[in-house]
Amino acid sequence: MQPKTPPNPGRRKFLTYTTSFLGIIGTFFAAIPFISAFKPSAKAEAAGAPVKVDVSKLLPGEMMTVEWRGRPVFVVNIPEENTSFITNNLDRLADPNMDDPSQPEYAKNEIRSRKKGIAVLTGVCTHLGCAPKYYPEAKPEDFDSNWQGGFFCPCHGSKFDLVGRVYANVPAPTNLVVPPHFFEKDSLLVIGSDGVS
Amino acid sequence: MSENTIGKKSIDWVDRRFPIVDLFERHLSKYYSPSNINIWYLFGFLLLIVLVMQILTGLWLMMNYTNTAEGAFSSIEYIMRDVDYGWLIRYMHAGGASAFFALIYLHMFRGMMYGSYQKPRELIWVGGWFVYVLLCAEGFTGYVLPWGQMSFWAAQVIISLVGSIPYFGEDLAIWIRGDYIVSGITLSRLFAFHVVLLPILIIAVVFFHILALHEIGSNNPDGIDVKKHTDQDGVPLDAKPFFPYDITHDFYALGVFLLIFCTVIFFFPEGGGYIIEYVNYEPANPLSTPAHIVPSWYYTPFYAMLRAIDFPLFGLTAKFLGFVVMAAGIAIFAALPWLDRSPVKSIKYKGIYSKFFLTSFVISFFVLAYLGSVPPTETKNLLAKVFTFLYFSYFLLMPIYTRFEKCKPVPERVGETA
Amino acid sequence: MKIVFYALIIFLPSFLFTAGEYRCGSIECDSFESNVSDKASLQRGLSTYMNYCYGCHSLKYSRYKRVAEDLEIPLELYENNLIYDGSKIGELMEISLTKNDAIEWLGAYPPDLTLEARLRRPDWIYTYLRNYYPDASRPYGVNNRVYQNVNMPHVLEDIQNNLSQVEYDQVIFDLTNFMTYVADPSAEQRKRIGTYVLLFLIIFTAFAYLTYREFKKDLK
Repeated sequence: MQPKTPPNPGRRKFLTYTTSFLGIIGTFFAAIPFISAFKPSAKAEAAGAPVKVDVSKLLPGEMMTVEWRGRPVFVVNIPEENTSFITNNLDRLADPNMDDPSQPEYAKNEIRSRKKGIAVLTGVCTHLGCAPKYYPEAKPEDFDSNWQGGFFCPCHGSKFDLVGRVYANVPAPTNLVVPPHFFEKDSLLVIGSDGVS
Repeated sequence: MSENTIGKKSIDWVDRRFPIVDLFERHLSKYYSPSNINIWYLFGFLLLIVLVMQILTGLWLMMNYTNTAEGAFSSIEYIMRDVDYGWLIRYMHAGGASAFFALIYLHMFRGMMYGSYQKPRELIWVGGWFVYVLLCAEGFTGYVLPWGQMSFWAAQVIISLVGSIPYFGEDLAIWIRGDYIVSGITLSRLFAFHVVLLPILIIAVVFFHILALHEIGSNNPDGIDVKKHTDQDGVPLDAKPFFPYDITHDFYALGVFLLIFCTVIFFFPEGGGYIIEYVNYEPANPLSTPAHIVPSWYYTPFYAMLRAIDFPLFGLTAKFLGFVVMAAGIAIFAALPWLDRSPVKSIKYKGIYSKFFLTSFVISFFVLAYLGSVPPTETKNLLAKVFTFLYFSYFLLMPIYTRFEKCKPVPERVGETA
Repeated sequence: MKIVFYALIIFLPSFLFTAGEYRCGSIECDSFESNVSDKASLQRGLSTYMNYCYGCHSLKYSRYKRVAEDLEIPLELYENNLIYDGSKIGELMEISLTKNDAIEWLGAYPPDLTLEARLRRPDWIYTYLRNYYPDASRPYGVNNRVYQNVNMPHVLEDIQNNLSQVEYDQVIFDLTNFMTYVADPSAEQRKRIGTYVLLFLIIFTAFAYLTYREFKKDLK
């Protein structure tokens, strides 16, 4: 069956291209639900919701670990007297000026926190993800004869100071991440939200 | 288009290593179909589209589904509420199952009307029949997964039918269930069948079915063998290439199908209780049977046959006999190529007996479908027996009436009269 | 083709016949048309549900946050006024009444009602809640025309006694409306998207048809 010469090749071209174009648009729109369905569901959002922590019972020098989005968050009460390490230790730190974005804008200060004396740090070593251990006292330790207090990661030996800043010459490249947080009341810390509605 | 573009060079590179051009031409661009094929020839393409859709939506559902008795029901509501567009994917899958069956019945009916099962297309027909049987199993296993009241009790009823087989039926039923009653253990294995075993088999047999079809070429509403008259290049005179004629027809059909399908899933997603039965919104309760257990609409004709046989015979229980008759109602389709003794393929040229019996078959199919979907009464039971008899008579008397009826002469060429 | 056509027109009407018994027990169901776009009605229904039903009947597939957003209630307001057990707004609407306690204290387990409007249909719920009658032979002194010998007391009896027939019907309408919403929260989004999809498909099908017809000219 041999077709005859098309009487109107322009019309054919237009129709074919328009129909194909519409088909492609349709396929694109049809893909949207499938791609969207991959996003975190309401269940994941609920599980990842901000957590509220009462810090009034936290004694000076004490640390509590809170879970947020499946990860540990260290909430540390740093006594006034111990804050000398903030300026004394700067030469041993890799990023003392906090150039890399491991903290929100409001935590880009000396104490890396919104509220004096309370440090909020994600307890995940920035090397390969282990949970660093809390060594608050400034005394000589096996891993550092001139230890000024802070966190030591047992997996590969990374060291961080009391506000989570990473030492130079350790496997971890960046400071401990400061999660979004704010204080709803003076003693009620909310982790996981900036507090701006 | 004779310049050596980079596109052409890439295709050449592949073609020297894998017969991509030959495959494309033989199965698509230069596959010839008779020029008189009509609307009844569009369902194969639509079935392929629905198959792909079911695989995609099924895969997405699987990502969020929990295949345990404790978690299944909640996971469906999780999909419907918490997963972005989960409700749409669920409705597409449930609606897609009903669409799959509606299309496959229409597709089968085309074959029955035009004698597409006759020589040399017997294997295409038997392959297609096997896809239908696998689809019935796929639909059954799929419906159990939401673990609602209907899911549970349908599984209970169907598996207990197996228990009616004499001697080893009960043991077989326990072996299938993996437990003494339908339980989470049964659910987990039906899940594995639904998601891995049956889809792989369906895809494989569909592949076989299409290959067998392309080997012979499509039949047509007149039952004429278009390959008998070819031009000097061997191209049939009464046929046209797939590209652009069939593909444009298929895309138009796709548009119409999607209009109907999307109207259903966006505005009537439960199908008035025929796509998602209302009873299934209650979690499975082994201690309480719903007042009316009804299978999905696409199984109801066979369910009616099952219930119609309510008398024992030859020492066999009514339950077992009903099971046998129901299975025979599905299996007998496969025998059509050998039951039909007509010298003519298409109903257009067959005699008055074939026309009568095919009409009687269609009416019986619809009546049985209705009877299978409502609670039984004395009159309905009697009707079910009558129409089961008529249903089978179409097949079982076919060797006789097709041989002795007077047929019309079939023309040699499409568009002519003999 | 004629075969199929005649078969359909002869037998399609028979599909419309339903079985003889009433869907609402001993009486016909009252007609009920939901209106889930009426947010005020849904809010009133939610309030009734939280005050009278939620003590026994959980809505455990629904989340507070979703209800608040869909009913246009500010999240803080919802959290402070409508969550009684300190749950967070993203959580599921569960209750603390266990199945065993319920059977011991009440004689039966009050089912979760998230999907009730899909299971029994909204008109059943509307009729049920308005058809309690006094019956001294029952433990709570009431029976129901729609659900014979139901174990549930007439929790809304006080409201029914203090309101006129029309006012009570409105309360039940709002409550049933809310339950219709909670059984199918994506209904509005579904219909909205559906309209756009169908419009697009009409345009696509029109062009696909024209293209088909254009090429078909070759074959005549």
